[in-house]
Amino acid sequence: MTIERDEFGFDAPAPLGYPGRLGLEDGHPTGPKLGEPLPDFVLPDAFGRELRFHEDRGNAKAVVVFFRSAIW
Amino acid sequence: MIREYGILNDRIETDDAFLYGIPYPGVYVTDEAGRVVAKFFHDTYKKRDSPENLLDAALGRLELSEDTPRAAGGDDEIRLTAAIHGGKGTIRQGVLRKLVVRFELAEGLHLYDEPVPEGMVPTTVSVTGPPGLVFEEPILPPTRSLRLPNLDVELSVWSGCFDIVVPFYASGELASEVRPLETESATVEVSVRFQACNDRECLLPRTETLSLEVPLDVVDVPALGIHKGHGQREGNYSTMPHMRRLMLRSLRRSPLGVLRFVRKNLRLQRDARRRRRSGRAPAAP
Repeated sequence: MTIERDEFGFDAPAPLGYPGRLGLEDGHPTGPKLGEPLPDFVLPDAFGRELRFHEDRGNAKAVVVFFRSAIW
Repeated sequence: MIREYGILNDRIETDDAFLYGIPYPGVYVTDEAGRVVAKFFHDTYKKRDSPENLLDAALGRLELSEDTPRAAGGDDEIRLTAAIHGGKGTIRQGVLRKLVVRFELAEGLHLYDEPVPEGMVPTTVSVTGPPGLVFEEPILPPTRSLRLPNLDVELSVWSGCFDIVVPFYASGELASEVRPLETESATVEVSVRFQACNDRECLLPRTETLSLEVPLDVVDVPALGIHKGHGQREGNYSTMPHMRRLMLRSLRRSPLGVLRFVRKNLRLQRDARRRRRSGRAPAAP
């Protein structure tokens, strides 16, 4: 098979030009800045329970990860 | 929520039923008050941070694991350790790991950061590896100021225990995730040059070379419909029997769930058609 290597040198199991392979353009904003409070959100967790971010983290530190898929 | 954060992937066409709505991937780390203390966003979705890097940011310190590849050097006065941090000490395409060079200096000794006056040697770490292993600029820890009254200079020094960290990742050349790996591990050579001094005298400059053998992590990307590759296993293999088995199991366990899944997909396609017709992005929900 042909290896679809992008300009960063990365290979992916999807053809070049597939929209999912488009990355962040230089200078594009990336949401809340350092020092700013992270906006609150309410979302269901893996068990369907409603999770209120700031309330449910109970004054603990948190890591919020936006990812697309474990395999692509 | 993705829109509220301002990280909606706006390079995806609005009529793409499958992909529209995905975010630019990234990570925020907050303190106890919910304020952002660290952010990780990269110019390509293939570049990701090891979970350990996120924990380092949250904890404010770097906890080295004992069981990752490491090499030791130096002597009783200056102990040197080079170790891989993250991903259980393996290499994987696009995933950022850290090469940590830990210095443990005996009481009274210090090393110099740049700039230094002529004749003195600042501390430098240089790392080399096989083609396809990309090392970023070393991250230096904070220094303290040391004034030498005789020379009338002020220097930046490190003492005690400190780390110089070199982030690195593999490109497709070394660890492609769509073809079998050609090698099981990579040799990483770390060269550390420094000159140690105490309040009265300086030792001779030294160069220490440490070598680490770092295994490549085997990623198994199955040949799903949207994934045209076959991962790092030899040859193609089909996931359809497993997919069929899993789908039948879900159907048996929760017929309603499957119905909901089908309905959700139909709704996504309907929304995409509407976006295509109206020719504009929908308002935030």
